[in-house]
Amino acid sequence: MVSKKKSTGPVSEGIDSLPGSSAPSPVPFSALNDDDSKQDEGAKRPVFKSKTFQHMNKSSNKKKAWKSLKQIIAQERAQPMPEGCVHYSGIEAPPSFKPAKKYSDLLGFLSKYTDPQTKLHYSTAAEFSIIRSLPNDIVTGYLTLRKANIQV
Amino acid sequence: MDEQEIEGRLYNLQDPKILPDSIFDNYAAVGKNNIPIVIDNGSYQCRVGWASENHPEPTMVFKNLIAKPRKERGKKEGDIQIGNSITNIEAVRLQLRSQFDRDVVVHFEAQEQVLDHIFSHLGIESEGKINHPIVLTESFLNPNHSRNLMSELLFECYGIPSVSYGVDALFSWCRESPGYISRDSLVLRLGQHCTHVLPVLNGSVVAEHSRRINLGGIHITSFFHRLMQLKNPLLAPAISLSRAEEILFNHCRISDTFYDDLARWEAVDYQKKNVLIIQLPFTAAPVPTTASLLSLEQQQQRRRELAKRLADMNARKREERLAEDEETLSRMLSIQEMWDDGDNNDLQQALEEFDLSNRQELNKAISNLKARIKKTKSKILAVMNSTMEDTQETPSAKNEVKTSKLLQELSMPNDANDMGNWIAELKQKRQSLLEKRVARRQKKQDMARRRTAAAQERMRLISQLAKKDKREDTFGMKDEDWDVYKAIQKDGGDSDSEEESERLAELEEILGRYAPELNMAQEQQLMPLFTCIPEKYQFALGTELIRVPELLFQPSMLGHEQGGIAETIEYVLKKFSQDEQHRLVNDIYITGGSSKFPGLLPRLHKEVMEMRPFHSKFNIRRSSCPSLSAWYGARELALNPEWLRASSITKSMYDEFGGEYLATHSASNPYWQNFTLPMDCSQQEVVEEMY
Repeated sequence: MVSKKKSTGPVSEGIDSLPGSSAPSPVPFSALNDDDSKQDEGAKRPVFKSKTFQHMNKSSNKKKAWKSLKQIIAQERAQPMPEGCVHYSGIEAPPSFKPAKKYSDLLGFLSKYTDPQTKLHYSTAAEFSIIRSLPNDIVTGYLTLRKANIQV
Repeated sequence: MDEQEIEGRLYNLQDPKILPDSIFDNYAAVGKNNIPIVIDNGSYQCRVGWASENHPEPTMVFKNLIAKPRKERGKKEGDIQIGNSITNIEAVRLQLRSQFDRDVVVHFEAQEQVLDHIFSHLGIESEGKINHPIVLTESFLNPNHSRNLMSELLFECYGIPSVSYGVDALFSWCRESPGYISRDSLVLRLGQHCTHVLPVLNGSVVAEHSRRINLGGIHITSFFHRLMQLKNPLLAPAISLSRAEEILFNHCRISDTFYDDLARWEAVDYQKKNVLIIQLPFTAAPVPTTASLLSLEQQQQRRRELAKRLADMNARKREERLAEDEETLSRMLSIQEMWDDGDNNDLQQALEEFDLSNRQELNKAISNLKARIKKTKSKILAVMNSTMEDTQETPSAKNEVKTSKLLQELSMPNDANDMGNWIAELKQKRQSLLEKRVARRQKKQDMARRRTAAAQERMRLISQLAKKDKREDTFGMKDEDWDVYKAIQKDGGDSDSEEESERLAELEEILGRYAPELNMAQEQQLMPLFTCIPEKYQFALGTELIRVPELLFQPSMLGHEQGGIAETIEYVLKKFSQDEQHRLVNDIYITGGSSKFPGLLPRLHKEVMEMRPFHSKFNIRRSSCPSLSAWYGARELALNPEWLRASSITKSMYDEFGGEYLATHSASNPYWQNFTLPMDCSQQEVVEEMY
């Protein structure tokens, strides 16, 4: 390792981009302030668009102009609906009934062992020795990858 | 790893170029006839085209993404880029936005921007409205809220005459399933954000028994991306998401015998045969050209000359001074003679000249001068000797100045007999360094655990540091005080070890030269890092080739709690009677971009075989074109004006029933009307289930 610092930067940048089920990688617009872009558009508004159109459901709160999927789901559940109705949230696949297999984090083989110190899975002694020489940020990276980096 | 022995494949990354969409140039021919526009609005790609016999292919296919350049102070805000106008996606990766949250459109300002992009690239110029029916895809069980906003946008902003909504997977299924009106199928859709299992009985999807796994292509791609970055931290900046995607869809496959394949990978021979080496593009920068080579040599030459000239100048100065001193000395000696002779006249003059008053001072000056001359002479001699040595030294030896310095430091003996001892000494030094390193690592490990001597010692030190003492605090007066922080550091002081490893490397280099039988493992590390050889820009793929797409079957690898695709199929099937199960598995249809992995069909075959009763029959087929078939399907349906009329929501319907209203058809979502709507329209039919 030439320099620890150098390798951390680009690696840790990727953590955010890893989408869990709740965080898709291109961030939904909600985090953006769009009001000024709106005005910009006025100048080059395409001819086929209505000149007076305003989004009705846009909240006045700039930061949360649009409901997130989570909010939409909650709203959908709260509404009175006819019987037999199935919501978007009603078709979530059930959690797995089978015990999750463990795979060694580095090599991807079926692994029997977990390093008590780093909590990484490993399959062979050679892999173990590599694990022990890994810098902390890489270890955290591997754990984050399988959502196992919960610090108590 | 020895490169020569590896027979694996080498893959050069292509980095395909993205060309901006051109504006559709034949609008005049299409525009008059109110030809429907078909938009497959997917969370990965958006496909747009005309439902016309003359246009069998989509005119636009682009990634459904918006890049909004960050506003910088003093800079004019850049233009928003959409889809293929983002030519370098990695450059704007952090500014990418999407109108989707998972597979549902939530941000309608962004959707508006995308639609602007679409319609203007279709060449539409009609004023104030778009005079084309729209066929648009939405996610399965798209919330009414989202559809409401979409309809509002389409009717009120773009003034479209009608819109027909459908589910992409079902459009695709309709296209490739003859007799779909009354067909039974199990539709699997492997999308970018979600995977769907949709049972279809009698041509209509059974919504309450459908299931969605919130895992799709993007999770697989980013898992792969991150894994590669973690495995190759030095190459991490060069491994981009687009490159990961390229490798993933070109080389990874789903294994139908996953565990056997994994076990096979454990054998070294198999590894060597099957490893895939990825060659990252690299610029063969600072390869010394002849000019720079020359200049490098010239520079050295010039430096040498400069040094020589300086040395010459110094030597000349020294000689001049020597000559001067010698002259003064001879004069002083003559004065001394004069003194002895008693020649007072001349003596007085001479003494005044040297500012001397008596005999003693003269003697002192003479002895000083003599000492100085002696010193200068010896210096000249030393310089001459050293230059002689310099010229004798070979240039190759000069290159190893650093090493030779170390050699001097380690006092390399000339005697061959001593040489053995010397090498042994070096070896021992190296050994002790290695042991030190091991000890440090051991300490690091011990510290991480509780109840070890090291950890207890650390705690003792910390508590001692934290202890409040009445006496005066003298901590920090001595430099050594600060070493305590090194001792209590949990990672065992890595910063100090850098110097140590440098020294180790030097020792090993010397040993490698003088005792080559000692094969150094670290030899590769010593390769200068700036050399631009292709191997430096390579990384190897092993089990990842099958391990990464396996995520579809084992989401637990990603820490995802939902079951994999096979488990979910089994779960869905169990909701049906034996007879219905049989009808469903008789036609399992797979579509969606992520279903392009090779090996998916054999694997699913195996999985379904395992879950079905012995000797029962089933069929699995994959869409002929998984990513585009939804668009093709929608287009083919839209070609039929009858279908279009029956399945569309017109402006008057929108005005009457509201934005949530959905005209159902074979490929659409089921529609449940919301009770909170005004009573006059919900009185007609409370539940409209036309499918």
